[in-house]
Amino acid sequence: MSKSTVDLPPKGGFSFDLCRRNDMLEKKGLKPQSFLKTGTTIVGLIFQDGVILGADTRATEGPIVADKNCEKIHYMAPNIYCCGAGTAADTEAVTVEAFENEKFVLYCRHGQLTAAITSLPYRSRIKSCYSTDTSEETSFQAEFHNFQLNYQGYVQAALVLGGVDVTGPHLHTIYPHGSTDSLPFATMGSGSLAAMSLFESKYKEGLTRDEGIKLVVEAICAGIFNDLGSGSNVDVCVITKGHKDYLRNHLLPNPRTYVNPNGFTFPKKTEVLLTKITPLKEKVEVIEGGDAMEE
Amino acid sequence: MVQKIQLLTPNIGVVYSGMGPDFRVLVRKSRKQAEQYHRLYKEPIPVTQLVREIAAVMQEFTQSGGVRPFGVSLLVAGFDDKGPQLFQVDPSGSYFSWKASAMGKNVSNAKTFLEKRYTDDMELDDAVHTAILTLKEGFEGQISGKNIEIGIIGSDKKFRVLTPAEIDDYLGEVE
Amino acid sequence: MSIFEYNGSALVAMVGKNCFAIASDRRLGVQLQTIATDFQRISKIHDKLFIGLSGLATDAQTLYETNTITSGYQRLVFRHKLYQLREERDMKPETFASLVSAILYEKRFGPYFCQPVIAGLGDEDKPFICTMDSIGAKELAKDFVVAGTASESLYGACESMFKPDMEADELFETISQALLSSVDRDCLSGWGGHVYVVTPTEVKERILKGRMD
Repeated sequence: MSKSTVDLPPKGGFSFDLCRRNDMLEKKGLKPQSFLKTGTTIVGLIFQDGVILGADTRATEGPIVADKNCEKIHYMAPNIYCCGAGTAADTEAVTVEAFENEKFVLYCRHGQLTAAITSLPYRSRIKSCYSTDTSEETSFQAEFHNFQLNYQGYVQAALVLGGVDVTGPHLHTIYPHGSTDSLPFATMGSGSLAAMSLFESKYKEGLTRDEGIKLVVEAICAGIFNDLGSGSNVDVCVITKGHKDYLRNHLLPNPRTYVNPNGFTFPKKTEVLLTKITPLKEKVEVIEGGDAMEE
Repeated sequence: MVQKIQLLTPNIGVVYSGMGPDFRVLVRKSRKQAEQYHRLYKEPIPVTQLVREIAAVMQEFTQSGGVRPFGVSLLVAGFDDKGPQLFQVDPSGSYFSWKASAMGKNVSNAKTFLEKRYTDDMELDDAVHTAILTLKEGFEGQISGKNIEIGIIGSDKKFRVLTPAEIDDYLGEVE
Repeated sequence: MSIFEYNGSALVAMVGKNCFAIASDRRLGVQLQTIATDFQRISKIHDKLFIGLSGLATDAQTLYETNTITSGYQRLVFRHKLYQLREERDMKPETFASLVSAILYEKRFGPYFCQPVIAGLGDEDKPFICTMDSIGAKELAKDFVVAGTASESLYGACESMFKPDMEADELFETISQALLSSVDRDCLSGWGGHVYVVTPTEVKERILKGRMD
């Protein structure tokens, strides 16, 4: 952007302007605030044709359920999805960040699709132009890894990343401090223990699609019913080579049972002291016409 | 393979006339610009906005010390909420909106040709045909799928560079 | 005490049939002492887009305020006006929510102590509501969103009183009742209510009478 416009908003990066003031307030005995957390049970497993990811849909703020049906499986690329656990804003930001960085690479693949590339070195951050019909998800993982390392665990996001590329299905977990794991099945979040207990006892290699989905649903349900931080519905995402199914609200084990069918109706009794009515203007449509301008 | 037509976002493509290396710099800058917009608003950047940003960069290089202006003119094509749009951006930083335009060595002939052939209600196929015929005017040597490039965008809002095979099909239809 | 409870606030937004309502209490306090009973927490971005900022009042004003000499770049109105000038259109509510989210997340490690509630009419006058925590984690809802010190009781009241597809008048009664009954159970908010009901054709702004204790 031009240098003359000093007042323009900065583009990207964190701002630490208010840190000192906030520290001061904390020292004066004000409790530090709590952020929206995903609470969360997130899981993933590799089955015979690909990867299945699963998540619950509860967001919490302390003990309060802030959102009963939120989305925790994030889109990364056509062949890659990612589940996030931890501070909600961080999981969102961290997935978006990696996605944006990776997008530059993806631009290089339009037009002619040449030979597919083999897997990038683990933890590398190669962003050279390579052409492939599926983006390489180990490089995504490296991207995350880097993001997490840069922020030393202050950005609180724990992720389960799954995708299918030319080298086959992959499942990775990424911890808030930046360490990573590649596993055939994985769980994260506060309900991870409940979910892992099911995986440990029932997972085997070469599950079919239906068996895989069933096991993922069971694991998420274990989190929903045994972990207070997780709840509501089950989201599932099945990724196979060249295809994916995002099954939003695949299972709704906790429907509302306390709805008053007639609802509440209120007589017009609220005491109004003042009413101001502002009519809104009709939107003016401009119709183009007349002669075209000469050069 | 080096391509003259490049994508800036999935729904905006660009082609140039002039110096290739300068073009690549502009493409990189404008992709970054588009990403920044997307990052902030979670919405694809409108064509007009991106064109303005590119033009701002080009203008800045006419005025800053230690740099030279960009040696390229661009044609930017995109499809957004406001429909299909075509822009020309010049090294000075000025930009124009066109229904059809041409640039480069044979610009005046090409524009005269387009002025005769262009109609408002063209289908995508007709537009490609017209584009090919315009290119043919004053093309040195035999035109083929291997020595021209064509990028299209329709109401699906996906900019796409045609493969040589597709171009050959169109060339067959034109003859 | 949490810094969010310093001034006290209650905010709620609800979706109706082709309309939405956004409401707040009117109290400004310094802990338990009431300073003002006509405080504005909801502000207009454009005709069909409103934002309410709960939490610390000074931060809410800094984030929103327009008419200070040292107007900085965070200010939401400033950012919206810049967008209007540049793009020659009003922001869609979804876009505005993303902008607010980005502004808040920029201060991830030193946040503003406010929790916004955004409500607006989008394309084809489809209502949109959304809230965030103080670092910009968006929470999109189809029915209602709440924020502020009275949020716990507001959750309960809205959960039982809300029903889908209400017309503007019924929506007003529902949101008002939900707000008033909730702030009566919260020491830090209350002193009447401020309700905006926005339909595609008009904005109705009403001041509610509430308990003064």
